[in-house]
Amino acid sequence: MTDQTNVMPEKEGFFSGFGKALVKGDLFVKLSLIWWGAGYIRRKQYVKAFIMTALEVAVILFTVGFAMKYVPKFSTLGTVKAEKVFNMQTMKSEFNDYDHSFKILLFSLISFVVWITAVVVCIVNVKNVYRLQLMEENGVHINTFKEDLISYKEEKFYITLLTLPVLGVVVFTLIPILLLIFVAFTNYDQQHMPPSSLFTWVGFSNFLSLFGGGGLTVTFGYAFVRVLGWTLVWAFFSTVTTYIGGILLSLLLNSKKTRVPKLWRTLFMVTIAVPQFVSLLLVRNFFANNGIVNSICDGIGLTGFLRDIGMISTTYIPFLSAPGWAHVMIILINIWIGVPYQMLIATGVLLNLPADQLESARVDGAKPFQIFVKITMPYMLFVTGPALITDFVKNINNFNVIYLLTQDVYVTTNQAMANSQAKEVDLLVTWLFRLTQEYYNYKMASAIGIIVFIICSVFTLIAFNYMIKGDKEGTYQ
Amino acid sequence: MKSNRTSSIVLHNVLIAVLAFIWLIPIVWLVCTSFSSFSGMNTSTFFPQEWSIKHYVELFHPDSVAQFPQWFMNTFVIACVNCLVSTLFIIMVAYATSFMQFKMRKPLMNIAVILNLFPGMLAMIAVYFTLKTLDLTNSYAGLIMVYSASSGLGYLVAKGFFDTVPRALCEAARVDGCSEARILFQMIIPMSRPIIVYTVISSFLVPWMDFVYAKMILNAGISSKYTVAIGLYKMLDKSLINTYFTQFCAGGVLVSIPISVLFIIMQKFYVEGITGGAVKG
Repeated sequence: MTDQTNVMPEKEGFFSGFGKALVKGDLFVKLSLIWWGAGYIRRKQYVKAFIMTALEVAVILFTVGFAMKYVPKFSTLGTVKAEKVFNMQTMKSEFNDYDHSFKILLFSLISFVVWITAVVVCIVNVKNVYRLQLMEENGVHINTFKEDLISYKEEKFYITLLTLPVLGVVVFTLIPILLLIFVAFTNYDQQHMPPSSLFTWVGFSNFLSLFGGGGLTVTFGYAFVRVLGWTLVWAFFSTVTTYIGGILLSLLLNSKKTRVPKLWRTLFMVTIAVPQFVSLLLVRNFFANNGIVNSICDGIGLTGFLRDIGMISTTYIPFLSAPGWAHVMIILINIWIGVPYQMLIATGVLLNLPADQLESARVDGAKPFQIFVKITMPYMLFVTGPALITDFVKNINNFNVIYLLTQDVYVTTNQAMANSQAKEVDLLVTWLFRLTQEYYNYKMASAIGIIVFIICSVFTLIAFNYMIKGDKEGTYQ
Repeated sequence: MKSNRTSSIVLHNVLIAVLAFIWLIPIVWLVCTSFSSFSGMNTSTFFPQEWSIKHYVELFHPDSVAQFPQWFMNTFVIACVNCLVSTLFIIMVAYATSFMQFKMRKPLMNIAVILNLFPGMLAMIAVYFTLKTLDLTNSYAGLIMVYSASSGLGYLVAKGFFDTVPRALCEAARVDGCSEARILFQMIIPMSRPIIVYTVISSFLVPWMDFVYAKMILNAGISSKYTVAIGLYKMLDKSLINTYFTQFCAGGVLVSIPISVLFIIMQKFYVEGITGGAVKG
């Protein structure tokens, strides 16, 4: 195997390299732009030439046979409504050749991705062919097809390894995100549900109604502000409480005074090892209006006392069914399942706490509280600062806690919220989940999705900045 | 002085015990209630008035609503397939980014960091539209794809472990004419036991712990197709809770035991993988 890097300079822009290859390449290199296999034929790489030609034919067949059915309708998302037509030949009612708006949207998007990929492949191909030309001119050995194949488990092994995982991410993460963005600009909802009816582009009107515009009956603007406010409050409190609680618990467990620390740690871990759908659904019934906690509170007279001071007007304490109560309870219950988890993380970090600093502080007569505020916390914040931001983003999207605790239990009495299918305890994600799953209001769900996306990206970029700066990769190598 | 220290140790441990007690109340309630002979929710006393194991027995005699053995099998099959695909993806990505040098390495890793920070929840509804159009909702294939397709993004823990493997080892193997594929399969994988066990268990647990994707994909209401999470959730429907609450508790206990054990084993291997490194000395 020969070293190919000296033939072609590696430090070169993607497009400038392509331009150079086109200008300086011979006829076959230029021809490769149209017929992908041409350059390989010239260098006697027949198998490769065949593969590239086949690939090109496949792209053309895809374009003619598949993409052309959908892409031309992309600007309108279809015009022919589904109707039953009586067919004289078969004597049966049959559907006409109708347009399916969502298929048009999805398959157009896939076509765009395929075409962009094809252009990239074409450019890379021309550059490769030009490199072959240079290699031939310099009398360097050109790999046979077999040698090429072997290189995929040798120096090009990373391509073999990464192809499938990257493809998975593109198909199941990137394309859906693009699709979400498109749907937010359409009127895809229950009244416009393919295949029976069509939907089309509506510009920014979904965002307008989300930000307070729109009619009087649908009050998305009103609900949006409240849901967004609670989402941020929740994300802040849930992150901070579990973070500090986790550090405190971990300090408590790792103290020299603790007997059998392993047993205690395991006991706390049981709460996070039990799947959330079991533990949260259980806790929800634990605190139900007619649940066990309410019976006990009634028994010891707490319910009566709260009623006397005017905090409740019901015969039970509405732990998870009244605004205010539910908000506080959700944050408390989240402490219950979040603190052990943070404790595990904090334990790992605290093991590396600079012992000499702690020792000298103790010698100087610092109190445990001072040590915690002046040494432990700054160190923790330094190490886990970015993680704190990612935790915040995760909590913005903490679907499980909110959904499992309040779905079917919490019923909003606020008519304006109910009109837009929101509740006071909803996060943006649970709201959009309900909009898709129960009300088929995909357009608003997508618009909310994009807003969540933007909020997350702001915090993500901050965290990302930290991580790139603190990138210590290679120091261990 | 001495007695002062002893009392502070006692206080310290009592504090931990009180906290642990608070933390375990709901779990204890779960276990106790599952042994109740009463089918609905016991609202008057903490401990059941009459103990019995009949709801565990009922769990294995499925009716139209509760088909626990079936759900357990469904989840198990999904978990196994997901475990296989995810582990492969993660090890592949981790090896490529840790041991090989190539032009796209850094950009790819940066993109992965950004995508990792975006919660998968957001792509979810679009994935749902797509699977619905392709008629893959209410099928295990769709669910497995959702779980495993993007799993390569979770490569960082494994890569962190691979980074501690001395480069000299691989260089020596390469000089001896060993292919990259052989280095991966015959050198790196055998010496990375803790991190591979960690990866296997954590990807096996995903379908057991997940609620939201299963709820979204398996939304047709066919009981025999549910995973454990959805099945147990449906038992607590307003119309069913009075007949099935104790069965829910019994099912919850039965699912939680293997998962908790696996989870605690996983944590052990995680710590081993993080602190141990591959080669000592």
